[in-house]
Amino acid sequence: MSNNMAKIADARKTVEQLKLEVNIERMMISKAAADLMTYCEAHAKEDPLVTPLASENPFREKKIFCVII
Amino acid sequence: MRSPPIPEMATQEVQLNETLAHLKTESDNLKSKLEEERAKLHDVELHQVAEKVEGLGQFVMKTRRTLKGHGNKVLCMDWCKDKRRIVSSSQDGKVIVWDAFTTNKEHAVTMPCTWVMACAYAPSGCAVACGGLDNKCSVYPLSLDKNENLAAKKKSVAMHTNYLSACSFTNSDMQILTSSGDGTCALWDVESGQLLQSFHGHAADVLCLDLAPSETGNTFVSGGCDKKANVWDMRSGQCIQSFETHESDINSVRYYPSGDAFASGSDDATCRLYDLRADREVAIYSKESIIFGVSSVDFSLSGRLLFGGYNDYTINVWDVLKGTRVSILFGHENRVSTLRVSPDGTAFCTGSWDHTLRIWA
Repeated sequence: MSNNMAKIADARKTVEQLKLEVNIERMMISKAAADLMTYCEAHAKEDPLVTPLASENPFREKKIFCVII
Repeated sequence: MRSPPIPEMATQEVQLNETLAHLKTESDNLKSKLEEERAKLHDVELHQVAEKVEGLGQFVMKTRRTLKGHGNKVLCMDWCKDKRRIVSSSQDGKVIVWDAFTTNKEHAVTMPCTWVMACAYAPSGCAVACGGLDNKCSVYPLSLDKNENLAAKKKSVAMHTNYLSACSFTNSDMQILTSSGDGTCALWDVESGQLLQSFHGHAADVLCLDLAPSETGNTFVSGGCDKKANVWDMRSGQCIQSFETHESDINSVRYYPSGDAFASGSDDATCRLYDLRADREVAIYSKESIIFGVSSVDFSLSGRLLFGGYNDYTINVWDVLKGTRVSILFGHENRVSTLRVSPDGTAFCTGSWDHTLRIWA
């Protein structure tokens, strides 16, 4: 019996959780996708792996680093 | 001898079973409703919207540094905010802090357990956290004195009832978020070791987590063996959104830099992108030729590139918007187990079962 009570408690939690998830506000993919694109384009120039500036990438530099402690 | 059930108990039993059946029906109806609501937003595909975006140029990315020193499989790594230091952890119980520019080892700690599956750098750069089969997450302050025994200052913070799979400091050195094989995630106060919040909802081991970029607020995403990715409210402990489209364990989750989406990598050999405002999967990154699981994913700084480390020893680089693969990188001699892009996006680091870490740029 107590096993059934536990199952019911779990089932109730699941139902409450699903109600929350069903009721959230959503956006159309066309709008969400447009926003993702806008973000990428706005930050493309500062992205060293998309717009490589070899002169400024410390890992691509050929010179050896000397750390004086 | 068993006496026959009392009529009262029998009636109660029947009533309970009826309630359970009723709740199951309600639950199933809600799940259908959720799918319906999500389907309503599906007016277009991401890659269709992205047709007008310029294609990416040729990619020349290769190994720029190789970090050798671990005696066994590298399981996890994290970058320091200073963009040059790295902490890594291994199956042999060792946690090493490296200077990625020079490849020098700066600190080494031997954990009391093997399989140190998780490690993280503190935002201040003054400490590292790690854990694994010991079911704990411990914090080690990093000493400037190379001779000092780091293990002596160790602080035990988190306690789970199964292995620690991932850990991450929040915005400060004061709090740590953990995920575990015990199916839960938890938020801890570092100083006192107190449990601040626990997150229940996964039906199996939680394998990974990622915190939302600080501007987006107090949420994080987790992925697990139940094939689900859950988004959580850190303050209330509530699961806000849940996504179940992967066909196998989710090994890695990572937020898109704007915080509006996250990517996942799974044993089903795909990476996927989920948009949080559309509340659904918006892209799958896969190829028929890719049949091995993805162990870890991360975005480039602008979010345009998604790097995936795979169990077939390779790294696949994906155009996030167009959904196509732009590059495949070879070098590791065993599974890639961990992958993170550096804080300023100039490089990414991979750790592998071949005992090494590589820096790619």
